[in-house]
Amino acid sequence: MKIVVAIKQVPDRDAPIRIASAGKWIEEADLQWAMNEPDAYALEEALQLKEKHGGEVVVVSAGPERVATTIREALAKGADRAIHIVADDLGSRDALGVARLLAAAIQPENPDLVLTGLQSEDMGLGQTGVILAELLRLPHSTLILHVEKTDAGLRVKRELEEGWFQSIEMPLPAVLTMQSGGNKLRYATLMGIKRAKTKELRAVNAAELGAGPAPVVVLEQITLPKKQKSTQILSGSPKEAATALVEKLKTEARVL
Amino acid sequence: MNDLLRTLVEPRHFALWERLLFPALAAASIYGFYWRFAPILRNIQRAKKDPGFHLFPIVKRVGDFVWEVALQSKVIRQRPLAGIAHASVFWAFCAFALVTLNHCAAVFGLGFLDPADRVGRYYFYFAAVFALACAVGILGLFVRRFLVQPKWLGELSWGSGVVALLIFALMVTYLAAFFVTGPAAAVHALWWAHTLALLAFLPIIPHTKHLHLVLGPFTVFFSRGSFAQIPPLAGDEDFGMVAGKDLTRIVSLQAYSCVECGRCMEHCPANNTGKELNPKEIVLGLRGYLNEFGPASEEPLLGKYASQQAVFQCTTCGACEFQCPVGIEHVPIMVGLRRGAVNTGAWEDDYGSKLFLALEKGSNALGMSATERDKFIEKNVLPIFDGTQEYCLWLGCMGAYDPQGREIVLAFARVMRYLGITFGVLRKEKCTGDAVRRLGNDLVFQQLAEANLETMAQNKVKKIVSICPHCVRTIQEDWKEYGAPPEVEHHSEFLARFASRLPSVQDRKKIVFHDPCYLGRYRNVYDEPRKAAALAGSLVEAPRSRERSFCCGAGGGLAFLGEEQGERVSHVRTAELTATGASVIAAACPFCNTMFRDALAARDDATPELLDIAQLVAQELPRESAN
Repeated sequence: MKIVVAIKQVPDRDAPIRIASAGKWIEEADLQWAMNEPDAYALEEALQLKEKHGGEVVVVSAGPERVATTIREALAKGADRAIHIVADDLGSRDALGVARLLAAAIQPENPDLVLTGLQSEDMGLGQTGVILAELLRLPHSTLILHVEKTDAGLRVKRELEEGWFQSIEMPLPAVLTMQSGGNKLRYATLMGIKRAKTKELRAVNAAELGAGPAPVVVLEQITLPKKQKSTQILSGSPKEAATALVEKLKTEARVL
Repeated sequence: MNDLLRTLVEPRHFALWERLLFPALAAASIYGFYWRFAPILRNIQRAKKDPGFHLFPIVKRVGDFVWEVALQSKVIRQRPLAGIAHASVFWAFCAFALVTLNHCAAVFGLGFLDPADRVGRYYFYFAAVFALACAVGILGLFVRRFLVQPKWLGELSWGSGVVALLIFALMVTYLAAFFVTGPAAAVHALWWAHTLALLAFLPIIPHTKHLHLVLGPFTVFFSRGSFAQIPPLAGDEDFGMVAGKDLTRIVSLQAYSCVECGRCMEHCPANNTGKELNPKEIVLGLRGYLNEFGPASEEPLLGKYASQQAVFQCTTCGACEFQCPVGIEHVPIMVGLRRGAVNTGAWEDDYGSKLFLALEKGSNALGMSATERDKFIEKNVLPIFDGTQEYCLWLGCMGAYDPQGREIVLAFARVMRYLGITFGVLRKEKCTGDAVRRLGNDLVFQQLAEANLETMAQNKVKKIVSICPHCVRTIQEDWKEYGAPPEVEHHSEFLARFASRLPSVQDRKKIVFHDPCYLGRYRNVYDEPRKAAALAGSLVEAPRSRERSFCCGAGGGLAFLGEEQGERVSHVRTAELTATGASVIAAACPFCNTMFRDALAARDDATPELLDIAQLVAQELPRESAN
């Protein structure tokens, strides 16, 4: 089975985020970068499928030069080869624009299965994978925790709301967007890193894949969330306060 | 006067058959030795060279050799009774070198020690003293092994019994020659009895643990150079000890040198708490592997002869390595086997993976956000290191993120302020990599060491002080593989240096100090923390203390792994410390601290207070200096 995994490099969770002066994107200098977590789970699922059924795992990632470190990490964890779509303007592209780049790179690979994270940890649009499926003219399913290969195609486990799951049978080839937590991630090894050095990492210029039309969705401005604390003191006797608290937990916080 | 003393009587003339039979038997005996010894020697020589091995400084090697081999210091010190018995056998063997040479040369008329001559006579008497001591010693060892039967000696072996009898026979036949002066047939019979014992002994050596007679001295001399030293990996295909091809000469030499005395298992915290790990079996496993597969094999090391589970139960406390009388270095072997499993991804453990993933990206072993450290520094107004302060106070993962560890850091900061010594903390710190280093993850360790070394260089750090012995060890020794670390010391050393300027208390509460493995055995620091703790009360000692201290169970990355097999190491040690009747357990390591805290919480009886030595010292400071 030939599996393509689309991976995005995002700012590290611990990295202090600053807004760039134009207010349209974040300041990228001195920032630490990491593999988007749902993508890491997509990679893990792909590697496990390969270990079970054989085949090849190809990683595709779009972004500037720094993205190569994340690609190497994916190769170190066990991907067989990689395609780096060199693009410096990811921040100004909408999901359709990014999906077009990915689709153009993936199409010639003719994969049996395309996996990607259900959303990115920076923009969080959750659209790229779905649009990618549309562009590749492949069936897709979202929020996948687990993939099982059957004779006819795939059986996938989807996450629904409130702890419900859905099991779906679908044909191959297909595009799946993966939810975090379905598997246990593997750690990178010294052997993996050494072996990754000899693996193929092909760089393709975004312009070569066709620039495509202007973005449909234009980013106006980004801002940091405002920190706010709202403390309420519940008055009355302990019994009254407890009753009021339970009421609030039920109706306002909706955790009960 | 000399005529009054009896002297050794050896035959002066040998018959032709004797002159023919002796060389034939001697050749057979030497062949019997060589036949088994040659493949062993080949297995050692064919093993790969040890990366990072230096013969220099040779003076230290010679010194260690004299101290440990010639003077038998370790053998005696750690097991006095059996040790002295062993030393008497060893010294007798040394004294017998000339006697035996003379004994064999005599048959060809080439004897050089003449009983009639003053020098010869005195030498025979000199040797006789050792022979007597040796006969008593070997008898004692025989009684110990076959009648007392301590469990660490393992199953009874015929070899040991035969060897003991042969050594005893050698000594008795030597001593008897002082008394049997005739007739000639009796003198010859005695000579032959001594000779046959000798020729029977030789081929047994390479077949049994008595091989240590030959290899032990070399093992001690060709040590890695310092305690628990982890060698560098060499080249792109070295991932640690994966298969036979990864066994180095030192490891092979050590595997064949094991004398199976079981001191390692006697002191091993894992073995003592019902776990699978037995350090002796690990070493003997390597020997078994070498005998079956040889040093070039691709057969995995973890399999038939050693189990992965056992290898990952090691706390790297180093008690085994410290105890080993033939200089086997267990810690590099354990870490080497773990490297082989982790660097190739063969080790699958949920807790281990979680730790590795946390450190691949994050900054600390506790998997917390780095901003938690910033908040801690900000809230407690710890000064930021800017190059003007004398010390860089290294927080470490425990000091920066663990609530109890933070208390220790703050207590120590109070003491530094009281003493008027300037210090600062780094704006950013990453885990030193102690846990991943000892668990065998070289990839993450390298990333952490390099990032930290860069921070050190950028901030022009000259002197580091840390509350954590693991950080101290890793910075000073393990980072060396990737650069030159700054000078570093443990806070106990700092506190001891300034002890005269710190207030001491008259209320003499009883304090028991627990030696952390990474401070004691690893750094040879025993008195300094006691000097600091003594400021706050009077010290009592645990049954196992100083270099025999029993691990808390946290080392070697095990603090981050899951539930233990058997009893918990920390519970055993805590019970031992509590039983001293002390009202305070003094720790000097945040990992020991956290292990004991949990273990004390699980106890029903009135438990002693648990404090770091820095907290003990800070308690006695006048209130004004508190911030």
